[in-house]
Amino acid sequence: MSWMNIELVLLISLPALTAVIMYFSAGFNQRARNTFAITGAALEVYLVFSLFIDNFEAVKNSDFFLQYTIGYADTPFVINFAMDNLSLLFSMIVTVAIFLIVIFSTQYIKDKENLYFGLFFLVLASIQGSILTADLFTLYLFIEAITIFTTPLISFKKTEATTRAAMQYLFYGITGGVFFFISVILIYFNLGTLKMAAVAESFAVISIPMQLTIIIFFLLALFIKLGIFPIHFWLPRAHSACPAPISALLSGVLLKVYLYIFMRLFWTMIAFDFLVELHLAAFVLDLALVSSLIGHIFALQADNLKKMLAYSSIGHIGMILAVLLLNTEAAFYGGLLHIIAHLMMKSGLFLSSGYLLRTTLSHHIEDLKGIGHKNRLVFIAFIIICLGTIGMPPLIGFVSKWYVLLAFLEARHFFGAFVVVAGSIISLIYYLRYISQAYEKIKTETPSLKEELLSLKAFFKSTNIMKNVIYVFTLFIIFFGLTFKFFEMPVDTAIFELLNPQKYIELVLGG
Amino acid sequence: MFNNLIFIILFMLGFYALIMKTNLIKNVIGLNLMEAAVFFWVISFSDIGGEVSIYKLGEEITKFNDPVPQALTLTGIVIGASTAALLLTLIIELNKFTGTIDRDELEGLND
Repeated sequence: MSWMNIELVLLISLPALTAVIMYFSAGFNQRARNTFAITGAALEVYLVFSLFIDNFEAVKNSDFFLQYTIGYADTPFVINFAMDNLSLLFSMIVTVAIFLIVIFSTQYIKDKENLYFGLFFLVLASIQGSILTADLFTLYLFIEAITIFTTPLISFKKTEATTRAAMQYLFYGITGGVFFFISVILIYFNLGTLKMAAVAESFAVISIPMQLTIIIFFLLALFIKLGIFPIHFWLPRAHSACPAPISALLSGVLLKVYLYIFMRLFWTMIAFDFLVELHLAAFVLDLALVSSLIGHIFALQADNLKKMLAYSSIGHIGMILAVLLLNTEAAFYGGLLHIIAHLMMKSGLFLSSGYLLRTTLSHHIEDLKGIGHKNRLVFIAFIIICLGTIGMPPLIGFVSKWYVLLAFLEARHFFGAFVVVAGSIISLIYYLRYISQAYEKIKTETPSLKEELLSLKAFFKSTNIMKNVIYVFTLFIIFFGLTFKFFEMPVDTAIFELLNPQKYIELVLGG
Repeated sequence: MFNNLIFIILFMLGFYALIMKTNLIKNVIGLNLMEAAVFFWVISFSDIGGEVSIYKLGEEITKFNDPVPQALTLTGIVIGASTAALLLTLIIELNKFTGTIDRDELEGLND
C-alpha cells in the first residue's frame, strides 16, 4: 500500500473529519471557523490534484488506476475503493466547484454556520465516496447519505416553503433509494457478489427477465435522482427553496455525480449492450430528450428566478443523458464536456442569483427590477454566464453544445439535434425575460426601506469574497471557452474508460 | 413462493399508502412499509434453514445462512429509521407553519 492508495481513503475521511470539527466549532470565532472550512476544502483539492500531477504520465497513457481494499479481498462483501481516469475527472471538477462554493458560503451564511458546514462537508465526503467506491452496497450507502445530509440543508432557512421542499425531496429520494436497494439485492441473490467488477464479468449469466427487472429498478432510482421528466416535480422546488450555495451544490454538482453513477452502472458494471439488447437504450434516449424539451418549456413559465434555473437544469441534464446514450466516441466527448461546462455555469448562475437577490425576501421576477443598475459588475457576470448557458460562441457553453450537436448529427439522430437547437432558442427567450426586467428603471422607494437596504449592503460589503467567487466562475467560463483543448486529455482518457470497461474490471479483480 | 406473495402484497400496500393517501403521516407509514417489505423478502430469501453463521469452538458448521443479506438489511434498517425520523421532524415543522398535515390542503395553500 503506497501513499497514493491511502490518499483515496483520505479523500473520503478528510471531509468527514472536517465536518466533525465544523460541527463543534460553535464556540470558535468566525475567522477561525472560516479558515478551517476553507482549509478543509483546499486540502481536498490539493489531494485530488496531487494524484493527477503525480500520475500525469499514467493518466496520459490512460492506464492510471489506484485501489484500496478494507477487509478480506476474497469475500463477497468487501469495502473497496478504486479510482480510474473517469473517477479522477469527476473528482477533480467536483472538488474545485465545491471549494469555490465553500468560499462563497463563508460570507453568505450568517447563522448556525457550524451546522451548515458540518452537513456540507458530510455531503462532500459522501460525494467522494460515491465517486470512488467499487462495490454496489457502499454505493447505495453513499447515495442515501447524500440524500439524508442534503435534506436539512434544503430546509436550512426554516420557512414553510423550504420545509415542504425538503419533505418532498426526502420522500422522492428515499423511494429512489428503495428501488436501488431492490436492484442491489437482486444482483446479490443472482450472482452472490456485490463487487461491480465481478458483477460485470458474469451479468450475462442472469436470466433475461431478471436482467430486465434489475435494469429497470436501477433506471427508476436514477431517474428519480436525476429529475428526468415523469418524476421531476421535486427538483425545481428543492433546488429553488434552499440557500444559494446549496442550490449550486444540488444543481451544479450533485446532478453530475448522479450522471457519473449512471455511467459507472451502465457502462462499467452492466455493459451497454444489454440496454440495447433489451430495447431500453432507444426508449431512455427519447425519454431524456422529451424531458430536456419539457424542462426548457417549463422554464419559460417560471416566475421565480431560481425555479427557472432549476427547470433549465432539467433541460440540460436530459440533453447530457441523451447524448451519452448514443454510445459513440463523439457523443461521450460532447457529453463529458457539457457536464464540465454545465457544472461551472449552473454553479455560477445560482451563486450570482443568490448574491444579486440577497436582500429580497423571494426570488420572484418582480424583485429583479433595477438589479442591473444596483450591482453592475455582478449582473454583467450573470449575463455572461447566461450567454454561456444559451451557447454563445466564445464561451465554453458554446463549445460543449457544439460537440453535442455534432454527435447527434453524426449519429443521424435528428430529433436530438432539434432538441439541442430548440433548447438554446427557448433558453434565450427565458433568460432575456429576466435580463430585461433587471434593467427596468427603478421606482422611487420609501426612504425607510432604502435605508434598510443600504445598511444591509454595508453589512455585506465589508469584504467582497462572494463577488470574487462569481467573477472566478465567469472567468473560467470565458477562459475555458477559448482554451477548451485543456480538457481534451482528461476527457479523452475518461472516454477510454467508458469504451474499454474491461480494463477497470481486470484491475479491480486482479488485486 | 409464499414469501414472494407477502412481499408483493406488503410492497403494494406501502406504495398505495405513499401515492394515494393525502395524510403525510400515512405516507411515511407507507414508505416504511415498502422498506419493511423489501427487508422481509431479503431475510426470508436468504434463510435456507441452516445454522447461524457464528464460529463456535469444537463444532463444525456444514450448512449456514448467508450473513451478507442480514448485514445489508441491518444497514438498511438503520437508514430507514433515520430517514423516517427526519421526515417526521419535517412534518412536525410543517404543521407548526401551516396547521395541517394533509397533502391536498398544503397544495391548496399559496407558495
